[in-house]
Amino acid sequence: MLLRFRSALARGLTAAGGLAPSDLGTSSQLPVTSPSAAGLRCPWCAQPHTTVRLRRRQRATCVRCGTVLATRSSGGQATLAHAVTGLLLTPPALLLPFVTVDKLGAERVTRVFTGVPELWDQGMHWLGVWVIVCGSLAPVALLGSLVILFAVKGGQRPWAGERWLRRGTRAVEKWAMPEVYVLAVLVAFTKLGTVVNVKLGPGFWCYAAMTLSFLLAWRSFELDPARAFGEVDESRAGPSS
Amino acid sequence: MNSTETRLAGSSFSRAAALAVAAAIMLVPANVLPVLSTSNAGRTRTDTILSGVQALWEDGLWPIATIVFVASIVIPVLKLAGLGALLLAASGRRTVTQARRLTRLYAALDFIGRWSMLDVFLVAFLTGVVRFGVLAHAEAEAGIMAFAAAVILTMLATRAFAPAVFWENLVAPGDARA
Repeated sequence: MLLRFRSALARGLTAAGGLAPSDLGTSSQLPVTSPSAAGLRCPWCAQPHTTVRLRRRQRATCVRCGTVLATRSSGGQATLAHAVTGLLLTPPALLLPFVTVDKLGAERVTRVFTGVPELWDQGMHWLGVWVIVCGSLAPVALLGSLVILFAVKGGQRPWAGERWLRRGTRAVEKWAMPEVYVLAVLVAFTKLGTVVNVKLGPGFWCYAAMTLSFLLAWRSFELDPARAFGEVDESRAGPSS
Repeated sequence: MNSTETRLAGSSFSRAAALAVAAAIMLVPANVLPVLSTSNAGRTRTDTILSGVQALWEDGLWPIATIVFVASIVIPVLKLAGLGALLLAASGRRTVTQARRLTRLYAALDFIGRWSMLDVFLVAFLTGVVRFGVLAHAEAEAGIMAFAAAVILTMLATRAFAPAVFWENLVAPGDARA
């Protein structure tokens, strides 16, 4: 989580301040035109904001709690590019050998979720299902919905079902943790290395690359300057100061 | 990570508190029961989370041991303690500085939570890979289910709580303790 605090934020108690564009680059500010200016609230502290136009290399932080809300380079095409990359990497990640284990000549090739049927056989059904959900279903669903969100009408105008899809995307993200899975595999790999011969296969590298695309796509989606605030449901929003 | 909708949508203290308590309870079987049994060339051993970390350390894999220790023991405890602190701090008034600090703590807790799943994935992965009959064999044990439940409950507890509540009763820095 990138949190950025600036001394100027001390005046954050004012009812509705403008977003503070943090000065990574040039710091001249222009008034903004954003289609969603009405419902602009910080997702963390519910501070209402007016909008500013971000210039290159600038990012918007909440005037009150300091959370980074948007970056100029996020959203739109960037999200779409990362999400498509991730989706293209998914089939090889799931189908190619993940690790190859060799114990006294008995070689065994494992794919991503070879362990799931074994867990199922041992009566740990939910654990097996859970690993599939967190490790592949949720990340793929998320990448897919990001592609749909940004490919339809270029991500410019709202369309039927979009709100529903955005809400679903956010719910799914919570449980998509391919990066944790990558670390777990590396830990297992090192641990196994002391007992048997293990090799990381192409499937693992595709999976790791898919994970990277996933993280970049999600970050880009979250810090999308055009959309970051538009989806706050006013009726359910908490009270502001 | 940031979820615009859930951050603002009906923050429920009682729900967050109930989930956190449930998670704390689940951590007990998670740490007491074995999570993984392995056999290698006739030797069989059954590990709890802590003894698994110990074994890694004794094998000289101390960086890995540290990672697993942090993910499986430090983070769940830290997260529940932090969540408890946030729940206690949620009522009452605070200055902007305090509110900002609490929001930052919440963001940190929200970020570290998912890494606890490491041990669950680790056990699931080892179970799938190490299957050489009598030569070498790994099997998941009941403790890992309890551990997974504890992690999921903690994540749900964090999600049930919205940091926006910290910004509701703000006071000027001068009369912070009013």
